Amino acid sequence: MAMHRRAWGVCIGLWLVTGCYDGSSVDLGAQTDGGATDGVGEEGDGSDSNAETPELSCEDGTPGPRSLRLLTRTEYANTVSDLLGIPAPNVTSVPVEPEVEGYDNNADASLVTARHVEAYMDLAQAAAVVAVDTDAAGLAGCMPADPGCAQAFVEAFGTRALRRPLTDEETQHYLAQFDSDAAEGDFYEGMRMSIEAMLNSPAFLYRSEMGESVGAGLFRLSAWETASVLSYTFVGSMPDPELMAAAADGTLDNVEGIALHARRLLDSPRGRERVTTFATQWLQTASLQSANKDAAVYPNFNDDVRQAMIEEERRFVEHVVFDSEQTVEELFTADYTFANDALAEFYGLPSPGSAELVRVEFPQGHERGGLLTLGGFLAAHAHANETSPVGRGVTVRERLMCQPLSPPPPDVDATPPDVDPNATTRERYSQHSADPACAGCHTFIDPIGFGFEGFDGVGAFRTQENGMTVDESGSVEALIDANGNSTSVPFNGARELGQVLGANGAVQACVLEHYFHFVSGRADLSEDECTLEELGKRLDASGGNLHEAFIDLTQLESFTLRSENSP
Amino acid sequence: MNRSRRRMLQLLASAGVATPLGTMFGRNAAAAPSDVKALFVYVPDGVIPSLWHPTGSSGNLVLPSMSEPLAPIVDDLVFVRGLNMYAGGATHEGGAAKVLTGDSDVSLDVFLGEETGGGLAHRSVQLGVGSTFQGGGDKMISYVGGSPISPDDDPINAFDRLFSGLGGGGDGGGGEGPTIAQLRAGSVLDSAIDDIDRLQTVLGSAEREKLDVHLDALREVEQRVTGQITASCDEVVWNEEGYANSDADNYPTTYHREDNFGLVGKLQTDQLTLALACGVTRVGTLSWSHAVSPTRIAETGATRANHDASHYGSDIAGEAAADYIAHRRWFMEQFAYLIERMRSIPDTGGSLLDNAVVFLCTEINDGNLHDHADMPFLLAGGASGQLETGRSLDYRGTAGGENEAHTKLLVSIANMMGVNIETFGYSGTGTGGLDGL
Repeated sequence: MAMHRRAWGVCIGLWLVTGCYDGSSVDLGAQTDGGATDGVGEEGDGSDSNAETPELSCEDGTPGPRSLRLLTRTEYANTVSDLLGIPAPNVTSVPVEPEVEGYDNNADASLVTARHVEAYMDLAQAAAVVAVDTDAAGLAGCMPADPGCAQAFVEAFGTRALRRPLTDEETQHYLAQFDSDAAEGDFYEGMRMSIEAMLNSPAFLYRSEMGESVGAGLFRLSAWETASVLSYTFVGSMPDPELMAAAADGTLDNVEGIALHARRLLDSPRGRERVTTFATQWLQTASLQSANKDAAVYPNFNDDVRQAMIEEERRFVEHVVFDSEQTVEELFTADYTFANDALAEFYGLPSPGSAELVRVEFPQGHERGGLLTLGGFLAAHAHANETSPVGRGVTVRERLMCQPLSPPPPDVDATPPDVDPNATTRERYSQHSADPACAGCHTFIDPIGFGFEGFDGVGAFRTQENGMTVDESGSVEALIDANGNSTSVPFNGARELGQVLGANGAVQACVLEHYFHFVSGRADLSEDECTLEELGKRLDASGGNLHEAFIDLTQLESFTLRSENSP
Repeated sequence: MNRSRRRMLQLLASAGVATPLGTMFGRNAAAAPSDVKALFVYVPDGVIPSLWHPTGSSGNLVLPSMSEPLAPIVDDLVFVRGLNMYAGGATHEGGAAKVLTGDSDVSLDVFLGEETGGGLAHRSVQLGVGSTFQGGGDKMISYVGGSPISPDDDPINAFDRLFSGLGGGGDGGGGEGPTIAQLRAGSVLDSAIDDIDRLQTVLGSAEREKLDVHLDALREVEQRVTGQITASCDEVVWNEEGYANSDADNYPTTYHREDNFGLVGKLQTDQLTLALACGVTRVGTLSWSHAVSPTRIAETGATRANHDASHYGSDIAGEAAADYIAHRRWFMEQFAYLIERMRSIPDTGGSLLDNAVVFLCTEINDGNLHDHADMPFLLAGGASGQLETGRSLDYRGTAGGENEAHTKLLVSIANMMGVNIETFGYSGTGTGGLDGL
C-alpha cells in the first residue's frame, strides 16, 4: 500500500494548492497511481558507445536534472577549511542564500553576482596567504628547487580543490600562475596565485552533478562527482581522503561501496551535525534564535531558555536518528527530551542539576513528548505575544504532512481577529472556520492549530488563558491512512497529535520528501514520484528507520544518474 | 590628497581594509553624468491606510500621523494611490517578490541597471539594513533571472566594494603601471573567465544561463579592477560616526544588531547617495529590514517588533497600532533624511534630487489585512524636470472601474530614465506609464 499512500499524499497536496478556496467537493475515494513512470530509458541516442544506457524502472527512482550547485556559505567555509587545513573563514561577505521551500541550497536560485565574485576573490586571497604562511613546504609537498615541484603541486592540490583530477589543459592553466607577472618569479607566490585561481574556478565553487552521457538523455555521475554528492549531502564539505581514494579505486562504482561511505560519513560528528541542520530548515525553527517575545506577556522566557531550546532540538533529533530506535515515530512520540536546569524549570520538570543539556524523562501523563512539544518548535511558530493556531496548523500541514497550501486569494479578507481579554485565542480564531470564504482551507489548518493551544507563544504549557480553560482538542482532516483513504482523526493536545502523525505512513514518508528537498537542492519534486515512492517503500520495510532511509537514498540507481535539463 | 580622501583611507584602515583607492577621486575626472538616476527604497509591512494617505489638494497636502514626518520634504514628493499589485500571491512574500518585478523574472532596479549602467562601476547597487536578518532569504525584492539578489547589509563591506579598488590605470597615476594587487586580481579573474569558457565548451547548453550570469559578474568586476571605469567625487565624507564591525563577529553580526539598526541605515543611505552622486552607479536599492519584519526600533519606544505591531487589529488607536505608527514614522524620518541629503548634493543643473527619481515602496497595503490593493507608494525627486512634485495622485477606479496596475508606475520610472518600454511584467490594465504622472 505504500505506493498508493505516496501517490495520495501528492494528490491531496495538489488539491489543497488548487482547490481549497472554491469550496468544491473533491472525491477522496478514487485512487490513482500518481503517474509513476516505468522504463524511462528505453530509447538510446546512440551517441555514447562505451556506456550502457540503463533500463530504469520505478524502483530505481527518477534521475534529477543535471546541475551545477553553488556551494552555500557554510559549505564554502567548510571546504576552504578542509582543503587548506586552516580555520573556517568568516563568510559574512558572501551574499546570503535565497531561501526556497525553506532550504538554503536551492540549485536554480543560487546565482553568482558581482558581489559574490568580489567576496570569493577576497576570501581566496586571504585563505591562500594563511595556508602558505602556515605550512608552505607541507602544502607544496616538494622542494621548490625540485624539478617538477610546481606541476606536482598543481596536480595533487588541484585534484583536491576541484574534487577530481585535472585535465592536462587545466594543469597547464594553473601552472601558468607560477609564471604570471603577479608572482614575480617567487615559487610560493606562484603557489598562492594558483591556489587563488583554483578557489575562484567554477569547478571549485559549484558542485558538479553534470555526469557523462549514457544515452537516452541520461547522464551518469563520475566517481568523483559521486564522492562530492555523498560528502556534501552528509557532511556539508569536500570529500575527505578516504572518499577521494574510493573515487579513484572504483569503490564508488557500485551501491555497496556507496553505502559503505554514506554510512561512515552520516555517522561522523559532522554527519550528525548535518542532520540537525536539516531538521532546523525542515522545521523552520531558525527564527527562534532572535525572535522577539513580549516580556510583559512572557516574563519567564529569557535568553537561557531560548538557547536551551535551540540546543534541545538539535540534541533531540540527533539522539533519535543516531542513538536510539532511529524511527520517525520516535521523533514524534519520544517520552524524553534534553534539558538543562533552566529549560527543565521552564517545562515544570524536576531539575536535572546540570547547566548542560542532559536527557530527561517525561513522567507518566506529562503533556510533552515528541518534536511537536519541543519548546523551540512551539515558540518559533507563534507570535510575539500570542500563539499562532494558523501558523502552527500550516506548518504541520506543509512541513509534516507534505500537503502545500496556496496563500489566501486577493479577494479574501484576511484580517486576523483582534486581541480580546475576554476570549481565548481559539475562540477568536474560530471565525476562520465559520466564514465559508475561509473554511475551504482553514478546515485543514485550524483544527490542527487549535490542538496546540495547550502551549503558549513561548512553548510553556498552560491550562488557562485569560482566566478561561484552554480547549486543546483538535482533529487532523485529510490524513491519508494505510489504505489510501482520507480520514479525519480527532486528538487532544500536541502530544497526542504527535502520536497520530508519527504512526501515519504518509507523514513518515513526508520527512523523506523534505530530506530530499535538502539533498537535491530542488523545490519542485513533481517529477520525482518514483524516487519518493521507492524511499517510502523502503522506509516501510525498515519499520520507519530514518537513519537507514538516509542511506537508502544513496542506493537508488537515480542517485548517480541525471537527466537532460528541461529548458 | 585632500582631506576627504585622507578621511576615507583612515576609514578603510579602521575597517581592516587595505585596498588602494586608486584614482577615482582625481580632480580632473569627467563631470558627473547628467542622466536621471533611480533609487528604490523599501520599507516593510505596509501601512494603516487612513493614517498614511494625505488629504488636501496638491500644493497644500495635509499628512496624517504615519506620513507626517515627510512634511519637511512634501514639496519633493508625489503621493500615488489607487495602484494594485495584481497577479502573484497576496502575502508578504508574494508582495516582496512582485513589487519591483511586476511578476516578471527581473526587478526594475536590476533591469534599469543593465539598460543604463554600461561603463559604470556598478550597474545597480542593492544595499540593506537588516534585510537578510532572521528570515529575509525568501523576502528579497531585487531579482535577476527569477532568482533573488541578496542586498549587502554590511556597510563596511559595501563601502569597500563601491569606493575602493577603482581606477588605478586611469589619470591620476602619472603613467605608472598596474599595481601588484591589480595584476593579481586581474590574473585571478582571467583565470576564472578561462575556466568558465572551458566549462561551457564542454557542457554546451547545459547550465548555460547560470554560467552566463557568473561570467557577466566576473567581467563586471574585471572592469572595476583593471581601471576601465572612472567615477568622480568632489567630496567624500562617510562614517564620521566611526562605525566598525567587531572582530568577533558572530551571531548576530555587528551590523545586524538591533542597537545598530539606525546607524547602519544612515551609513547605507549616505553611501548610496554618494554612489549616485559620484557616478559609481545610476540605480540603487535600499531595503529597510524585510517583509514580516522582526525589527524593533528601540528609540521609538515601541515594545513590539514592526510586523507584530502591524497586526494592530481593527483598533487604530490601540497599543499595537501605536507601535506600528511609531515604526512607520521612524522609517519616514529616515526617508526624509535621504531626500534632504540628495537635495544637498550638487549635480548637473541642480541637485542630485533634481536629477533623480526615488520610489518608496512596501510589499502590502494594510498591515493588518495583507492586501495588495491601493498600495501606499510615493515618488520623490525631479527626474531632471520630468516629474512635477508636491502632488498627490489617485488612480482608484481609473482602469475601467478597477484600480490601476502598479506596473504602470514601474514603466513610468523606466521612461524617466530614458528606457523606453511599454510594459514591465503584469500588463492586465494595458500598456504605457501612468497617465498624469
